Amino acid sequence: MRTLWLSFCSVVLFLIPAKAQEAPYFVTYDHHLEEPRNLEIGTSTTLGVPRSGPRFYLAPYMELEYGLKAWWTTEFYLEGQSTNGDSAVFTGWRLENRFRVFNREHRINPILYIEYENVNEATRIQKEIVGNSPSFGEPNAELVNTRSHELETKLILSSDVHDWNLSENFIVEKNLSASEDFEFGYALGFARPLGTMASAGNCRFCRENFAAGLELYGGLGSTNGFGLHDTTHYLAPVISWQLSDNASLHISPAIGLTQQSNPVLLRFGYSYEIRGFGRKVAQLFGGKP
Amino acid sequence: MKVWLVAGILGLAIASTWAQNTDSKQDDKWVAPPDAAAKTNPLAGNADAVAGGHKLFLRSCAECHGEDGTGVQEGVANLQLPAVQKQSDGSFFWKITNGNVKKGMPAFARLPEAQRWQIVSFLRTLKPSAPGDGQPTSPNAQ
Repeated sequence: MRTLWLSFCSVVLFLIPAKAQEAPYFVTYDHHLEEPRNLEIGTSTTLGVPRSGPRFYLAPYMELEYGLKAWWTTEFYLEGQSTNGDSAVFTGWRLENRFRVFNREHRINPILYIEYENVNEATRIQKEIVGNSPSFGEPNAELVNTRSHELETKLILSSDVHDWNLSENFIVEKNLSASEDFEFGYALGFARPLGTMASAGNCRFCRENFAAGLELYGGLGSTNGFGLHDTTHYLAPVISWQLSDNASLHISPAIGLTQQSNPVLLRFGYSYEIRGFGRKVAQLFGGKP
Repeated sequence: MKVWLVAGILGLAIASTWAQNTDSKQDDKWVAPPDAAAKTNPLAGNADAVAGGHKLFLRSCAECHGEDGTGVQEGVANLQLPAVQKQSDGSFFWKITNGNVKKGMPAFARLPEAQRWQIVSFLRTLKPSAPGDGQPTSPNAQ
C-alpha cells in the first residue's frame, strides 16, 4: 500500500511543471539563485539499479525553493524511497541555503552553500555523492532505524562564458550524530541553451526552450582516506525542456564509472515557479506590494 | 516530525513577509563602466528581437517592474522615465547582466547574451503613458 501511495505521489508530482533558462543540472549547482520572492516547487526522482542484486529503487523528492533575497536562496526538501520487493519509506528532510558572495558578475562567481540534513540510512536521492561507496544490500526496515543529522557545505564556483555555464562544486559533509570523519565529494558540469534568441510567439518545441549539458560527480573519500579508492562516480548527460513560462522538465541518465557505482541512474524532474509568491503572501498579512 | 514541518511552513511564511523588497533604495554607485556603457545593441532595429524581448520582459522583469515598466513596488525603477531611457543600450545590458544584488535587483546573466539584448530592444519601446506617471521611483533604483 505504501509503495502504491509513494508511486502515486511521485507520478502526480511529476505531472506538476522546472523553470526556463536554468541550467539543466541535477547535482551540480551554478551561481544563479532564485529570484527574490519567487517560489519554485519541484519534484524529482532518482531511479537506480544496484550492480549487485536485481532490486531497483525509486527515490522521489520534493523541493521548495524560495528567493529570500537576490543574494540568498533557501530550499526545503522532503524525500522518500521505494525498493522493488521491499518497502516504501520516508527518508527525511533537508534545509539548504545558498549565499552569493559578490554583488556583480565576475569571471568566476563563488556561492557559499550550507545544508542541514535529517535523513535516515535508506536515503537514495543522491543529490550529492560524498565519501566512499554506500551499501545497497540491507532492507529498508533496518536502514530507517539509523537516522543521522548531517551538515553539508559546498563551495560553488560558476562561470558564464558565451552562453555556456561552467560550474564546479566542492563538497564537505559531516555526520553530527556519529563520530564519523569528514567526507568529501565533487560535482562538475557544463551546459548551454540550444537556442539563444527568444522567438516572438509561445512555442513549446523551439530550440530556445531546451538546454543540454554534461555532469560529472562523485565521492572523494574522507579524512580517514582521501582519494578515489572505493568511491562512486557518475557521468551524466542532462537536458531540460521549458514547457511554459513557469514550468520545466529535466531528465538525466547517469552512467556509473566505477565498480562501486550503480551501472545506471535515471533522474527526472519537473518544477513549477510561482512568481511573486512572497509578495502575495505579504499582502495577505497586510504588507506593502 | 510534524512539529518540524509546521515550523518549516511557518518559517517560510514569516520569511516571505520579512523578505519584502524594502531595501531597494537609490544607488548612485550602480553605474555601468564606460566600456560596457559604450557597447551597441547588435539587435537594434530588429522587430522580431523586440517581440521576443517583450516576451522575456513579461517573464523575467514584469513581476517587479510591471507589464508597462512603471514599477509595481516602492523603490523599483520606472523604466519609462526619461532619466532612465537616456541611458545607453550598453548600460541597460550591463545592468540586466550584473543586477544590483545587494539592492534587490537580480543578475540575469543566466539568460543568453542575445536574449539580454532583446530585452534592451524592448525597453526602448517603453513610452510614458501619461505625464507624471511613476514619479515616486528613482532612475537609479533597480
